[in-house]
Amino acid sequence: MENRNISQIAIERIKDEGIKPISRNIFSIKRVLFWVLVASSFIIGAITFSLVLSALFNNDWDLYNKIGFSFIFRTLPYFWLISLAVFTVLGEYYYRKTYLGHRRGFILIMGVYLVSTTVFGSLFYLIGTGRLIEQSLENEAPIYRHVMLNRYEVWSHPEAGFLSGRIIRVMDNEVEVIDSDGFIWIINMQDVYLRGRVEIEIGERIKIIGKCMETICIADEIRPWIGMRRGMMR
Amino acid sequence: MIDTRSCESKTDEELVGLSLKDSDYFFCLSKRYEEKLLRYITHISKFSREDSEDVLQEVFIKTYYNLNGFDPSLKFSSWIYRIAHNEAVSAIRKKVARPTLYLEEGDLEKFGDVFDMVKDVDNSIDRKAIDIALSNLDEKYREVLVLRFLDEKDYVEISDILKKPVSTVGNLILRGKKLFKYEYEKLIGVSV
Repeated sequence: MENRNISQIAIERIKDEGIKPISRNIFSIKRVLFWVLVASSFIIGAITFSLVLSALFNNDWDLYNKIGFSFIFRTLPYFWLISLAVFTVLGEYYYRKTYLGHRRGFILIMGVYLVSTTVFGSLFYLIGTGRLIEQSLENEAPIYRHVMLNRYEVWSHPEAGFLSGRIIRVMDNEVEVIDSDGFIWIINMQDVYLRGRVEIEIGERIKIIGKCMETICIADEIRPWIGMRRGMMR
Repeated sequence: MIDTRSCESKTDEELVGLSLKDSDYFFCLSKRYEEKLLRYITHISKFSREDSEDVLQEVFIKTYYNLNGFDPSLKFSSWIYRIAHNEAVSAIRKKVARPTLYLEEGDLEKFGDVFDMVKDVDNSIDRKAIDIALSNLDEKYREVLVLRFLDEKDYVEISDILKKPVSTVGNLILRGKKLFKYEYEKLIGVSV
């Protein structure tokens, strides 16, 4: 069989059909877009890691003795852990879509991504980004409460002495708080231990450990809703 | 039409630049790769020459259409082989491949050297056996073996053509060689 001159046929088709190369800008935009997606996944991943750290470091681990083993599973920051996994996978996927991204192996890309996320996420945590974002979400995004349902659930057992709510009134040795169900409680702070950076001010969300009956709680301990660190006696 | 001899001294990258200004220069570029790509497409697709030529025509059209997307950080040959790979895979999906003898004279030598095969038997028998052994391999192994040993591409080039990590390419070649040897020995009935 006679060989066809494919190059000749191709060039004739290009001319006859008026085929023109796609603009360079389209390719440039595509390349930049993938790098933007890689960078975004990385930055969001690092912030998410700082939120995981914030949730873990600010968890009330000391309640493990009072609530038991289930406490660990009930209070782990699942939402942030899943988000971290999602952004790690996205980061790897987008990196692979960059022009020469295919050359690196899965393990290498994931390794570099996880180490970088850990380092930058820890830095974000140390400068307070995690705490700041968590507080903003608590205050500004009502949906966040549904996401962190377990934490609310742990602190919604007044019969067991665990209560949380927002301060709506401050009196001498007493405050009024409204819990997540809208009930108003009077908290007696006669002999209370203020743990961490808790501020007894209207609008502050607090956690209370004590004995609760009807609408009154005798508080043994009050903690800030987010964050703990230093303790102080009142 | 441009005389291809006038393009001989020019690099692929230079021809890409010239083709963007004058489509006639693209003829030099496509002519340079015509035989290589036709052989590659035939090897991986097992299409007849005529069908492979149709695929190749589409490869050249797509290459020209995407010419601005070529980045010199990649070899032009890897880039055009990648387009050929994608087009061949797409064509394979569209039609049922017919097994065909596609090895040429020089191919036997290349495979013989790589696998240290016995070559004292009739060349045509050997060629047929190599061809069938290759055909029996899974597409992913056949393709890396063709690129490595027939088209003589290095690992990075194969990685760029197939868009697979270099380490994966290495593993595929290693495993492909073992499988090929096994298939070949099964066919000729002796250990090589």
